[in-house]
Amino acid sequence: MDDMPAIRASGIRKRFGELEVLRGVSFDVRRGSVVSMIGASGSGKSTLLRCINRLEAPTEGEVYIDGVPMGFVEDRGGRRRARSLAEINRLRRDLGMVFQQFNLWPHMTALGNVIEAPMRVRGLPRAEAVALGEAALEQVRLAEKRDAYPAHLSGGQQQRVAIARALAMQPKAMLFDEATSSLDPELTEEVLAVMRDLAQRGTTMIVVTHEMRFAREVSDEVMFLHDGVIEESGPPGQVFGAPRSERCRQFLSKFIGQAR
Amino acid sequence: MGNWERLVWNQREVLLEGFLVTLHVCALAFAAAILGGLALCLLRMHVRPLRPLATLLIEFFRATPIFVQLMWVNYVWPELFGWPNSFFTAGWVALALQSSGYLAETFRAGIEAVPRGQREAGEAVGMGPALVMARIVLPQVALTTAPAIVNQFTVIVKSSTLVSVITVQDLMFQSQKLVNVWYEPIEILTATAAIYIAFVFAVSACGKRLSDALRRRFGIGSG
Ligand SMILES: Nc1ncnc2c1ncn2[C@@H]1O[C@H](COP(=O)(O)OP(=O)(O)OP(=O)(O)O)[C@@H](O)[C@H]1O
Ligand SMILES: [Mg+2]
Repeated sequence: MDDMPAIRASGIRKRFGELEVLRGVSFDVRRGSVVSMIGASGSGKSTLLRCINRLEAPTEGEVYIDGVPMGFVEDRGGRRRARSLAEINRLRRDLGMVFQQFNLWPHMTALGNVIEAPMRVRGLPRAEAVALGEAALEQVRLAEKRDAYPAHLSGGQQQRVAIARALAMQPKAMLFDEATSSLDPELTEEVLAVMRDLAQRGTTMIVVTHEMRFAREVSDEVMFLHDGVIEESGPPGQVFGAPRSERCRQFLSKFIGQAR
Repeated sequence: MGNWERLVWNQREVLLEGFLVTLHVCALAFAAAILGGLALCLLRMHVRPLRPLATLLIEFFRATPIFVQLMWVNYVWPELFGWPNSFFTAGWVALALQSSGYLAETFRAGIEAVPRGQREAGEAVGMGPALVMARIVLPQVALTTAPAIVNQFTVIVKSSTLVSVITVQDLMFQSQKLVNVWYEPIEILTATAAIYIAFVFAVSACGKRLSDALRRRFGIGSG
């Protein structure tokens, strides 16, 4: 049980019409570890994350959360049947997703955003959801902004609320899709600090990022995605220090001042 | 000035009574139009088998002159459906039909304008389609379309003068009645026009303040 990966992607392929964006991606994420995904724009990083929590259904392959397949159930006779949307929604709760564009709900306060799913999806009583939500806001250091609407928060604060919103569902793992890419440099750090903090507390995380320094310092493993396949993967020291793939080397050379 | 006093001021109770009927008809039509518009819009967007029917109704309600609809509801529906059984009901129902057609399109544009990431954020925390619609999409549609909805109310107010034709005793009806008593139309009709203008302006001003307040608070909604 203990060596069961928190997340296992197995042979993920994703096709949009003619375009095959993911061409067989497999990897494991151990419980409590941080995996960074790097790669050029259009290499399929977002699509991969979206296949993991099934905002997109993979064309082929399967994702397992703690060994449980997201896409199908097997009956006692070993026959597979596709999961219903309701079942998928139930499994999704275990994966917190943080988007590049924050996607906070503008008509709800910070706390409102955070307690919405605990109340409506998990069915917690309000008081319990508020306690959870306040703890989550505390964790991203925004307790004092609980009653602010997103329009009155900075980008960095909005993204931290979005992280709190995901944390309040007490997920088994967190997925970050370029969480700092639409932030001004001076706001990036406060979000990265929260993510570092999560990593230190042993949160299982997949982090799609262009912040090479962060990837190098925080990850247990780095994966370089190119053209829909994992071209290179390994501990950060190896991927950043001595990449075997020429493409990976080229890609990293663009970040030269940042990572190395 | 004597005429104004005799024809308008001394008739203020009659005019007020008419105005209250106007308010009543418009409020019912407005509420029904919002519910009907929302229902038509959701059927059209999310209930495949009923889409052609919903589309047909929306187009029909929008494309037929309001006067024709009024006659149609008042004279044809009772024959077909045994309802409505009063001129008053026929009046607000006809007004509601046309506005529901317009509002259905307003709501559709509003729903389509909600960024996809908003829904996905809901799906990602495990919300199903109904929850996403009720808790994320529609509240934002209400905010972004609030100005257009208020504007539709002013349209209803203006169209509502037609219900006097089927003897609903609204402001227009009372004012015409007064004209027919004294054959002195100038003051009465001018006063009537002024009342409609004042009312429509007041509603528009409220709508403007509402949308400003919404924009300040939530950062969404159009001017
Ligand atoms: N829903 C979709 N329909 C069609 N094509 C899509 C869709 N989503 C993504 N793609 C295509 O898939 C490819 C990979 O996109 P993806 O967003 O996964 O890349 P990415 O690595 O996240 O890039 P970026 O760094 O710019 O975010 C792109 O060519 C994109 O145009
Ligand atoms: Mg992306």
